Amino acid sequence: MSRMSQLLGMYIPGTSIVHRARAGYKLLALLVLGLAITIPPPSWWLLGSIAIVLVSLYVIAELGLRPLARQLWALKWLILVVLGSQLIFLPWTVAVANSTRMVQLILLAALVTLTTRTADILSTLERALRPFAKIGVDPERVSLVLAMTIRTVPVIAELGEQISDAQRARGGRISIRAFVVPLLVGSIRQADDLADALVARGMDD
Amino acid sequence: MTTSRGTEEVSGSTIDTSIRFDSVRVERGGVQILNDVTTELHAHRIAVIGANGSGKSTFARMLNGLVTATAGDVRVRGIDPRRRGRDARALIGFIFTNPDAQIVMPTVAEDVAFSLRGKQLAKAEIDRRVEAVLERYGLAELRDRPAHELSGGQKQLLAVCSVLVSEPAILVADEPTTLLDAANTRRVSDLLMGLRQQLIVVTHDLALARRCEVAVLFDNGRIVAQGESAAVIDQYEREFC
Repeated sequence: MSRMSQLLGMYIPGTSIVHRARAGYKLLALLVLGLAITIPPPSWWLLGSIAIVLVSLYVIAELGLRPLARQLWALKWLILVVLGSQLIFLPWTVAVANSTRMVQLILLAALVTLTTRTADILSTLERALRPFAKIGVDPERVSLVLAMTIRTVPVIAELGEQISDAQRARGGRISIRAFVVPLLVGSIRQADDLADALVARGMDD
Repeated sequence: MTTSRGTEEVSGSTIDTSIRFDSVRVERGGVQILNDVTTELHAHRIAVIGANGSGKSTFARMLNGLVTATAGDVRVRGIDPRRRGRDARALIGFIFTNPDAQIVMPTVAEDVAFSLRGKQLAKAEIDRRVEAVLERYGLAELRDRPAHELSGGQKQLLAVCSVLVSEPAILVADEPTTLLDAANTRRVSDLLMGLRQQLIVVTHDLALARRCEVAVLFDNGRIVAQGESAAVIDQYEREFC
């Protein structure tokens, strides 16, 4: 499993009880824990308890603490921005507690995706969305969009790497414009090709 | 077995295996991409060759309705892909040059299973078919691997598996070996040549084209030669390379 996959929280095969639990139960547990993290006013004992539960779940899932640490490291800029902006307006204790809640929520969601096949999450989501079909929601399309988003992130990341390599190879200074324009063009082309592939694979039929 | 008359014997009955283009013209934004293309193809393995921009890929994309004609008529086994796109796409599997653009789902097995969506199959049957195709083409051990972690060759094999799992009667491959190294080019070429499906392969790889029975040579949006592959490729090398 590559570092990129772990950062994206992609499924790591395993046989732990967390892996074997049904996707629906895991999503429900995520919802309940998510509400427990976000609704009550932040308190240190609650944040501490959630942190212990979180670490325990990663251990029970036999993932070890490395994926947890990697996810945490990947969130560093987000933490900095969220924490920094809150520190301007709020007391530091509230700012730290709010940021901790956000990180805990993301790590919990990552635990679900690390231990559940995307297809299982999507079929659960499709079932859950079925009642909304009456008001025009297409559950299959919603789940497909989510799957393609997950699939497209590494493709776009690779495109970004190629562009920055090309810039370096030509000896130029790193320029935001020279990076963003080809990235946008490449991404649009990629989306175009993907649309053709979806049609060719019968998605619109 | 496909006969020279464009029919195939299946369980005692005869089915049409022909691909017909009649005075087909494709124009986009005032640019003529295909110009008065008329042909009839019946061979089991057909190579489509020519320079970049000669119209090869457009020709291939017309077979399953990805591109439609400005004028003229296209029939694939009697089906008009413009009017009966769904039937054409059920009949034809399409492999693109860049597998990254056609792998839709995050992991190997999920992407293969994606092709069976909407076919009203039980989950157990989908799993069985996915496992069988991954096993046959040597990707079984990678079934849970994220697609972006595969090598270029493995990605193209995955693209082929994802198409073959739905058992199309015709396979159209648009430059399937262009992004591959020599070993993977050989691997993918051998795989394509060993298929029972009728194959139409757009390619710059003349070694692959030589392995087909028939080649079609495009230049400037027109078919300039068609026939036994060795002769057409020799003409291409003589006049265009």
